[in-house]
Amino acid sequence: MAMGSIGDTLWDVVICGTGLQQSLLALSLSRSGKNILHIDPNDYYGGAEAAFSLQEAESWVDRLATEDKGLFRSASITKPDVVGLSFPRAYSLALAPQLIHARSELLSQLVSSRAYRQVEFLAVGSFYIFKAPVGPEQQPSLVRIPSTREDVFSTTAISAKAKRGLMKFLRFVLDYDSPEQRDAWKPFADKPLVDFLQEHFKMDTELKTYIITLTLSLDGRITTEDGLFIVHRHLTSMGHFGPGFAALYPKWGGISEIAQVACRAGAVGGAVYMLGAGIKSMETATDEIELELTSGDKVKTKLLVRGDESVGDEPSISRLVAVVDSPLKTLFESTVDGAPTPCVAVVALPPGSLTTPGEANTDPVYVFAHSSGTGECPNGQSVLYLSTMVTPNSKEILSRSLESLLSAVDPDRVPQCLYQLYYEQAAGVKQSRLDGLILDLPGPSLSLLMDDASLNHVREAWKKVVGGAVDDAEYMVFTDREPVDDDDYE
Amino acid sequence: MQPNPIQASTHRTTHKTLKFSNMTQSFTSLPQELQLATSAHVKYIQSLDSRKDEYDYWLTEHLRLNGLYWGLTALHLLGHPEALPRAETIDFVLSCQHENGGFGAAPGHDAHMLSTVSAVQILAMVDAFDDLETRGRGKAQVGKYIASLQNRQTGTFAGDEWGEEDTRFLYGAFNALSLLGLLHLVDVDKAVDHIAACANFDGGYGVSPGAESHSGQIFTCVAALTIAGRKELIDVDRLGRWLSERQIAGGGLNGRPEKKEDVCYSWWVLSSLEMIGKTHWIDKAKLTSFILSSQDTDKGGISDRPGDMVDVWHTCFGIAGLSLLDYPGLEPVDEVYCMPKSTIKRVLGR
Amino acid sequence: MADQGGSNHGIARTSRTRTEEQRQKDLERIKDYRALEDQVRHHAAKNDYSSDVFALTSKLLRLNPEYYTVWNVRRRCLISGLLSKPSPGSSPSKALPTSSPTATTTTSSADFSSSLSTETPPAPESQTTGKSGITAEDDEEQKQQTRQQDQQNDQQILQKELHFTIPLLLESPKCYWIWSYRLWILKQVIERLPVPVARNIWEEELGLTSKMLLRDQRNFHAWGYRRHVVEQLESPELEGKSLVESEFEFTTKKISQNLSNFSAWHSRSKLIPRLLDERNANDEARKAFFEEELNKIGEAINVGPDDQSLWYYHQFLMLNLVNSAEHPTIAPAFTQEERVTYLRREIESIQELLEDYDDAKLIYEALFDYTLYLCQLQGRKPNEQEEKDLKGWLGNLKKLDPMRSGRWADLERDLGLKE
Repeated sequence: MAMGSIGDTLWDVVICGTGLQQSLLALSLSRSGKNILHIDPNDYYGGAEAAFSLQEAESWVDRLATEDKGLFRSASITKPDVVGLSFPRAYSLALAPQLIHARSELLSQLVSSRAYRQVEFLAVGSFYIFKAPVGPEQQPSLVRIPSTREDVFSTTAISAKAKRGLMKFLRFVLDYDSPEQRDAWKPFADKPLVDFLQEHFKMDTELKTYIITLTLSLDGRITTEDGLFIVHRHLTSMGHFGPGFAALYPKWGGISEIAQVACRAGAVGGAVYMLGAGIKSMETATDEIELELTSGDKVKTKLLVRGDESVGDEPSISRLVAVVDSPLKTLFESTVDGAPTPCVAVVALPPGSLTTPGEANTDPVYVFAHSSGTGECPNGQSVLYLSTMVTPNSKEILSRSLESLLSAVDPDRVPQCLYQLYYEQAAGVKQSRLDGLILDLPGPSLSLLMDDASLNHVREAWKKVVGGAVDDAEYMVFTDREPVDDDDYE
Repeated sequence: MQPNPIQASTHRTTHKTLKFSNMTQSFTSLPQELQLATSAHVKYIQSLDSRKDEYDYWLTEHLRLNGLYWGLTALHLLGHPEALPRAETIDFVLSCQHENGGFGAAPGHDAHMLSTVSAVQILAMVDAFDDLETRGRGKAQVGKYIASLQNRQTGTFAGDEWGEEDTRFLYGAFNALSLLGLLHLVDVDKAVDHIAACANFDGGYGVSPGAESHSGQIFTCVAALTIAGRKELIDVDRLGRWLSERQIAGGGLNGRPEKKEDVCYSWWVLSSLEMIGKTHWIDKAKLTSFILSSQDTDKGGISDRPGDMVDVWHTCFGIAGLSLLDYPGLEPVDEVYCMPKSTIKRVLGR
Repeated sequence: MADQGGSNHGIARTSRTRTEEQRQKDLERIKDYRALEDQVRHHAAKNDYSSDVFALTSKLLRLNPEYYTVWNVRRRCLISGLLSKPSPGSSPSKALPTSSPTATTTTSSADFSSSLSTETPPAPESQTTGKSGITAEDDEEQKQQTRQQDQQNDQQILQKELHFTIPLLLESPKCYWIWSYRLWILKQVIERLPVPVARNIWEEELGLTSKMLLRDQRNFHAWGYRRHVVEQLESPELEGKSLVESEFEFTTKKISQNLSNFSAWHSRSKLIPRLLDERNANDEARKAFFEEELNKIGEAINVGPDDQSLWYYHQFLMLNLVNSAEHPTIAPAFTQEERVTYLRREIESIQELLEDYDDAKLIYEALFDYTLYLCQLQGRKPNEQEEKDLKGWLGNLKKLDPMRSGRWADLERDLGLKE
């Protein structure tokens, strides 16, 4: 379809915003015979899940300073007076990096829709716990969380008795949804998982920290029901796509890469794309909406889908993105023979573990360490993504966490920080909202793990557009559009 | 209704008889889909040779004679020995024989121990050793071929002239030679020594000395020792334990520790247990329903486990397993030869 | 009794009806397949084992690697023309191993093809002419040169054959015929190529088995094959030396990847006696080794009390204490007192596991067994406390493992444990 004609068409759906949900929706609808116009007021893909070059990050920070709406605030960039930073386009910093479990629904949709072929997935390796130094002379250290039986077998970090406790729990989780096991945790379903671990498994603090870290719960208070679901998925994901890893991360900027691939596949399916085109005004009639776009175009559509950008009830989080001048090699060692070299490692700083001068952290701090293998920074450097709940001193907590972590990774030559981007992100609303001919999808999730629930909203929206007589089994199931080498995956 | 207590082997203990009366009761209470679909299975086996418009039919020609043995055994046990025409069966078997006495899987296929054993078993089942003498190359030539495959140094057997050795071939040789009454052509003691060298600390046997215990290989070794009359070499208690541990939660049996269950192991494990008198060490009712639930009750045939594609191999060993489990209506199977007991009685006079 | 080729394992049952289109497609494939098959048979029946036939077997085997007769045709193509004729005076160590009992391969292949019942017997003479017949008049230098050329030619062909089977093995890792053909080729490597070259090729083979075992840790064929490869690499024919240390290391690695890999534990149990002998381990070293293994398996059981693989290995170690006459033993010089101490210590630490795993039946079984071992070792009957324990454990076994109730009943009867 030629661009000139966008005003002449009555679109089935105009989708505004290219975050993950809108992009997947465009993909699914474009293959269901609907004509779609997909626009984004930004001149980049990915919305709140975008990945930025340093230049793009700078203009994003500048723009946030002038407008006081949306989900992001308090953004600032710090460049210490150190040489080593490469040219701006050598970086691709993810605004909201998320890990994707091998058994996540997102992956099966990418496989069935064949869109996965365009994404390069990387292995997420070990999860570590940061340990503060015990005495004044000592260094902080990182302890790897054993998450398979073989890991538990070979670790020397815990006692034989504690190993049994951990195995007992791991065995329980693998089977947690069976009728017998459900009786054990149902009374705790809405209570924090830590309480259940305490009561039912008599776990010590150390083991509890291991388990909670696997859930990446930002406040450490994840419910038993949600927590068991995530730990179960983590364990069953282990080895699913290959030995030694449970989660994946898309190269070149995480979720934003998937959003872009979905848009590209949507375009192959016939959707029309316009970046830098937002909605200036709209006029609603009975069965169509007329939109005036910031590009000057006027278009008509039967349905408008947007991403909700209003702030929801849940607390906000602080994020710090740091580029460091070291490959942080020790974090990215593969622990199993035949496993791919991981490009992402996770470090948790449990509550209270920050012992440098200043207040201790009351919430856990999570760090995603990305090697240059992610394509997010040049060789020899790494990107660290830190997140914690917003508190009056969370910015300071994050920067002290960064320092502590760096000295734990390599006490002999503490890596230097070359660049820091700080911002706070508010939680969006959690539900879709249909108002006449306008459907607002929920805001982006703050979760550090890809949350399958957000995919359900996309599926519901697809069903609504495609109409009553659709078969759920057809959702996101496409054949290849072009011949491909079938040597991977299947 | 079977059973016929006279058919019971000498190993049957009072346990077994006791257990059996419980079993009969449990069969009658089985739901419809857990009844043996006899007529469907007969039709399925009959249809196997009429599938010449299927690509797979041609890809599996190297198993034709084996397939005939599996199908025919199943039919005999199902009580329908006439379901495949006898004369054509004999003609086909003889058309696979080579001058050296060995049989190939089909005309134009090289001679091999496995197809030779199948040929002898089929001819025994349809009572056609006479045809082998008059129209084929004769028993003696078959015996000579098989004997030529023994490694006289180690006692074990190769599958053919190219030298792959395996306790499967040793068992095959003993099976066929004993049916032909020609066991004296080979060095039985050497072969027995070789089996003893394949024994492991867990009581089981592997494919060669040093190899891990495996249910299929255990069957071949225990059956060969039984044919040789040397069962005293078996560590009955330890082996019985190992074999009984092959039954896993769903009731099916696996072939090795920490592996999945599979209908064919109903045969390898159960017949081995039978030979050492320990079938009561597993839950027979559960195994029975596992095998039955692996049937395709509609189109016939049995698969490796419920819901999978059927084939004649699993059909044969599933039915043989059921026979050994005293499933009513089936002909009793001989646990050493995997053939009807009546055939073995006729041929060996026991 | 036959191999499992052609049977369906783990393939989901689907509708067995085909559309007319699928049927037509099948008929096309059958036509092509049978045409190819006819060609190969036609040539083989005439004893034509030329390079054209060889090429046809490649095509056919890619379609059907289970077709053993075609593997044989391929072998005959190699020995009746493509490969050099082995010189009559080759060293005795390079003679064919006795595992192939039927005369020499050349004449027996003639036997075999002439006995095809459906075709007219071919003239056996055509078999005997090799590509590079050497007469006595050739001078030594020329002989040497020819031999070198032959070896180079052979090496190239044999390596190509090894490459040919790899994709087939990756696709059908459980096909006996491919493994067997590959071994035959490797046997030719020993017989035809200079030792250093042959050794290199066999060493690469060890790498291949490691790769296969990474894809499928329990592949029976691959483990058996590996044992064979190691044996060859250790043999004087390849000027080998013992690989027992590195093979032992290999099992350690496989176990740390997956504790349930009984194939690796088994292999370990078989390697240990040789390992200790070759280390010239004295009594002290043997004792230390035994303790190390005991600790290792104890750690493993501590995290895998339901895992049969682990308990089998544990039992293997315990049998070293009681049944030392029957099995090769790790530490023959243990005193009676030491044996008793080890058994008691194990029984105690296994009992500790019950604090966390009171539903793991294999724990009760081990306690039961080892208590009896102890009595056996001391040549006595269970004392009152032991009898009480045995009864209690048996009670748990009955409760936790009703499938094997017949076994528990036998035990109860045989040991007189019935109330």
